[in-house]
Amino acid sequence: MQQNQSILSYKRGRYLKLALWFCALAIVVYIWHEPPVVYIKPYGGTWLGYTLGTIAAALIVWLMWLGIRKRRYASNLGSVQGWTSAHVYLGTSLIIIATLHSAFEFGWNIHTLAYALMITVIVSGFFGIYAYLRYPEMMTGNLAGETLESLLLKISDLDRKCRKLALDLPDEINTIVLKATRAHPRELAVGNSMRRQITAINADCPTRAACDALLRVGGKLNPEQARINGQLLSEMTRKSALTDRVRRDLRYRALMQIWLFFHVPLSFALLAALTAHIVSVFYYW
Amino acid sequence: MEIQVTNVTVNQRGQAQRDQRRIAGPVFIIGRGTQCQIHLPDPRVALSHARITVTDDGAVIEAEPGRIQINGQATQSARLAVGDRIEVGPYLLQVETAPEGVPLALAVTLVNPLEGTKSEGVNRVAPSENRISKRRLSYLGFGGMLLLTLIAPIAADLLGRVGPTTTFPVAPDAKHGAAVEMTQAVSAKFTESWNPGPLSQSHQPFAADCRACHQIPFKHARDQECVTCHKRIKEHVPAKELTGPQGQAFRETRCAECHRDHKGVGIAPRAQEQCADCHADVESVAANAHSEKVTDFRTDHPEFRLSLLDADKPKLVRRVRQGKQSAAQLVEHSNLKFDHKLHMDPEGVRDPEGKRDPSGVRDAQGRRTVLKCASCHEPDEGGRLMKPIVMEQHCQQCHSLAFEPQVTKRQAPHGSETEVATMLREFYARLVLGDVPPDVNPPPDLRRTRPGAVLTYQDRQAALQIANQKAKAVLYDLFEKRKVCSTCHTVKRTEDEAGWDVAPVRVAQVWMPQAIFTHAKHSTETCETCHDVKGSKESKDIAMPDIKKCRECHVGAKPVSGKVTSDCATCHKFHAGRDYWHAEMQAQMLAPPLSKGKK
Repeated sequence: MQQNQSILSYKRGRYLKLALWFCALAIVVYIWHEPPVVYIKPYGGTWLGYTLGTIAAALIVWLMWLGIRKRRYASNLGSVQGWTSAHVYLGTSLIIIATLHSAFEFGWNIHTLAYALMITVIVSGFFGIYAYLRYPEMMTGNLAGETLESLLLKISDLDRKCRKLALDLPDEINTIVLKATRAHPRELAVGNSMRRQITAINADCPTRAACDALLRVGGKLNPEQARINGQLLSEMTRKSALTDRVRRDLRYRALMQIWLFFHVPLSFALLAALTAHIVSVFYYW
Repeated sequence: MEIQVTNVTVNQRGQAQRDQRRIAGPVFIIGRGTQCQIHLPDPRVALSHARITVTDDGAVIEAEPGRIQINGQATQSARLAVGDRIEVGPYLLQVETAPEGVPLALAVTLVNPLEGTKSEGVNRVAPSENRISKRRLSYLGFGGMLLLTLIAPIAADLLGRVGPTTTFPVAPDAKHGAAVEMTQAVSAKFTESWNPGPLSQSHQPFAADCRACHQIPFKHARDQECVTCHKRIKEHVPAKELTGPQGQAFRETRCAECHRDHKGVGIAPRAQEQCADCHADVESVAANAHSEKVTDFRTDHPEFRLSLLDADKPKLVRRVRQGKQSAAQLVEHSNLKFDHKLHMDPEGVRDPEGKRDPSGVRDAQGRRTVLKCASCHEPDEGGRLMKPIVMEQHCQQCHSLAFEPQVTKRQAPHGSETEVATMLREFYARLVLGDVPPDVNPPPDLRRTRPGAVLTYQDRQAALQIANQKAKAVLYDLFEKRKVCSTCHTVKRTEDEAGWDVAPVRVAQVWMPQAIFTHAKHSTETCETCHDVKGSKESKDIAMPDIKKCRECHVGAKPVSGKVTSDCATCHKFHAGRDYWHAEMQAQMLAPPLSKGKK
């Protein structure tokens, strides 16, 4: 079996073909299907409407089952790769199936809410596919053979080195350096909030601020101090470059995760809304 | 060529330990990879960090930019000399004085051990992942959504069941506390959130009260709820006339199966196919049906059937289909004499109040009026039918009922013969008794009582006798000599008090009661387009258009360019039947409420 196969091209797009045929069939039947005249126009309550609705609901439950299947390492029911490939394509086909089920009728009600949730989940899934296809490559390029851990350790070393160098420099510089290298949780150079991780810019990055400050104060020092300051500046600049890489790495990691924070909880909200949609239709039959 | 590498470590007692090794060259890779000759097992060291090449000229170290520092200076390549301090990540490599025969001696010290720095580094990037877990969000999303979209609307519905249901129209005196009203408003919002589509206009008052129509959860909306309001809705065909399985199925069709609500403003289906289901072979649904096969107005519709009245048989309604074979039967027995041809004379009819005839020779008074259809036939307020023709309004201007024009301009009432006789007797009795109204010029031959005379009983009897005789003479004049009544009516001599009998008149107002025809909608056309009366000299002639006439403009459900698309519902009403919907149920609903005294 090919190892580096993407989930999109799994078994030469077996599930892509399945999903396309399925959608085409649904569209053809929808066009061919003439609802009884009393219904005025197609809607979810004709035989085709109920069929499409049942298929869509079953698909949603099955798509969510991926969360269970991927944790069942002992299961032999298809490979997780195959499941994921099918998850992507059949999940996308839901857009067509559910829209045909709705017969393009939308309103401010729980039925359209369930539809909107479904679309949101699918779109967040699209982002997930994009992230999984694009970011690992970019991460590898960014790390360039290093690991996040090794980068952090290097930063740590540089911090210590900088602090040591700054001891011989005036208080002003020492304070700047201390600020930039102190591992106080509130002044984290990288990471912290999800928003910061994703935007990957720290406007108030203390390392960058220290670099600027060191460059500024360089002229006022005596030759010996200037030499140390030069050394300090080069170390600080190295650290700045490292922190930028760490930030980028964290950004990619966050982007690869963040969509799941929408995809998964929203699909559970969708499951609830779908339940309400089905119950409501038959509660007031 | 071998070099000497000394690993300098510190033991538990803080003493330095030196492990010496000899490594074969000439190229020595420094890195964390195990294949490296100088193996520095630390993650901060690159896999292949730097390279020392030993030749006869000495040892040279090379590395990528920014990787190593020699004596505090970042460098890429340097020739090594004794005493050089090379920083490789956390390691310090010192060039020592080499023993005899060894070109290079290095002391490797781990200056910055990994321990102690690890937590510092990891802490920096620990994102707040633990605070928001996908699992917790999922529980929240599922639970919250279930509560808002399922549990709350059901709770609102069940709570609403406890309280009184909405009545329509809403009772104005219904007063509740603010809390109750707010609860109701909120629960109404939740209930409405389930509404799959806008209700038809007339059902919109119930938008927040689903139970008005959907009484029992998980059961179809029942007819009972429909006829709670639509009490007088009629069944298409009385239940007892339906036969066979299809008839049974038709009988069991619920209102909501045809009237699908929540689909926008319209709720009444226009479903010609549904009509044709039965009417293509109506006997299969109702064995004794009188209607003929019909599936489409243009291609498959029988001739129109007229409901004809008979003035002499008030209960009889003859339904005669138009067509050549039934031409003899297509006559109206209205007992009225009327000549459309005469009245529609383009030269006009004699009219004492009409315009002067320019030739002045046609009649004595020389005044004529040209009548149009609209002179007599006026549409009713709804614009559907024509108002009935009324003698006083439409005829009397020309057809005066003056009974003795020389005496008075008063006219006999247009009513029963008895009424006319009574009126005349009273009129002449008054004159005979000497009370002459100012507008009356008493006839000279009438013997009158002298004013102020004291009349005995015999005198009064004699006076009434005179008046009666006069009245009788005038009646004779009206009915027979001048033939005032018999101009239009069939008059017979009888032996009763009135002396004459005018045959009863019945004129059809609605010729096709099963069809809806609205004159107002056809006001773009002239009357003559459909009704041809120019040649009609008798009132028995019928001027109703036939299906060919309608088909000049109207086609069936399938559109045809330049024609009016017309399905069954264009002309026919489904609920135009005779019995109430599900008669037994209706009987209870329409029964008058028991009075309070009776129990």
